[in-house]
Amino acid sequence: MPLENHEKARFLLHRSLVEGISVEDRHWLDAHVEQCAECGRYADLSARAVRALDWFAFELDPAAALRVENVVRSRAEGMRSAGAQVKSLWIGTAVAIFLTLTGSAVTWRPLAWLASQWNLPSRVWQVAFVAFWMLPSLFLAFLPLFRRRLLGEDSDSNGQTV
Amino acid sequence: MVALVTAFSRVAEPESQCIARALRRRDSEFIGRMVSRYHYRLLRYLVYWTSRREQAEDLVQETWLRVLEHAGQYNGRLRFEPWLFSIARNLAIDHLRKQQAATARHRMCPEDEASLNLPAPDFESPFFAAARSEDAKRVAAALGALEPIYREALLLRFQEELSLAEIAQVAGAPISTVSSRIHRGLSMLQASLGGGADAA
Repeated sequence: MPLENHEKARFLLHRSLVEGISVEDRHWLDAHVEQCAECGRYADLSARAVRALDWFAFELDPAAALRVENVVRSRAEGMRSAGAQVKSLWIGTAVAIFLTLTGSAVTWRPLAWLASQWNLPSRVWQVAFVAFWMLPSLFLAFLPLFRRRLLGEDSDSNGQTV
Repeated sequence: MVALVTAFSRVAEPESQCIARALRRRDSEFIGRMVSRYHYRLLRYLVYWTSRREQAEDLVQETWLRVLEHAGQYNGRLRFEPWLFSIARNLAIDHLRKQQAATARHRMCPEDEASLNLPAPDFESPFFAAARSEDAKRVAAALGALEPIYREALLLRFQEELSLAEIAQVAGAPISTVSSRIHRGLSMLQASLGGGADAA
């Protein structure tokens, strides 16, 4: 039997285990393995080697598995509640900004009227309005978002304090 | 009607999409079931990487925590297993690198050598612990002697039944490299079995 037939058989044997071979190649391989004792032994060893991997069945420790499950569950819950908290903070900030702007628009005219009654220069009352009405309101609106940073608390990428 | 269509689309939705959605929503019930379902396979994969049962158990938990952290990166278009194993693989490699660095530091300090008490691989090997027969012990020795990348390739192909492309995705290596790793790993196992048969 030509040497290249044995090489081809081993190549096909490996390929059949790893990625599969065509029907024609399978027929050729089966026929060759039946005739050739050496390649038959090689095929048997290959099959045994693959089966041997099933011999290593590791026993599971149910307590360890449950512990991992509980840790992962509680982390998932923590991340979800942290995510919900961040979402509600953003919504609260948006509402606060909206109220600041609409409140400023509503109070603008009465203040302009009062300033004219007291003969205040428009620059003065407008600067006072921005400094004592708008800026504090906007600061309070944004404060919750930067609370952790301002308080010096560290947080991980998911918003959870570590 | 809309509810019916929604319900039907959920039923028809591939599992990978369900997993991706549950991960994004941090659905603790679903994630808990997944941890339980994949526990053995993940543990086995990490044992094949680290050759140490205790380390593998620690890494299983770390893997799931990292899955939660990077949940947004899994889009459900591909199967979940290769993604899960690739996360576990990165952790195992980091762990082994740290271990090697620590070992190297100990070796550089002769006064610390006495305190270096690394277990002998053969006796601590989980493969030996699991081996029930002489044949299994021979294969355990061969597995223990193989580098983790070859053990990994064998496990993913023949026990996890991943395709070559999926194994390549996990290992971050070309398909041809994965194929040759499987070939080399199988050859080692064949040699151990063949040697045993000859000896018998």
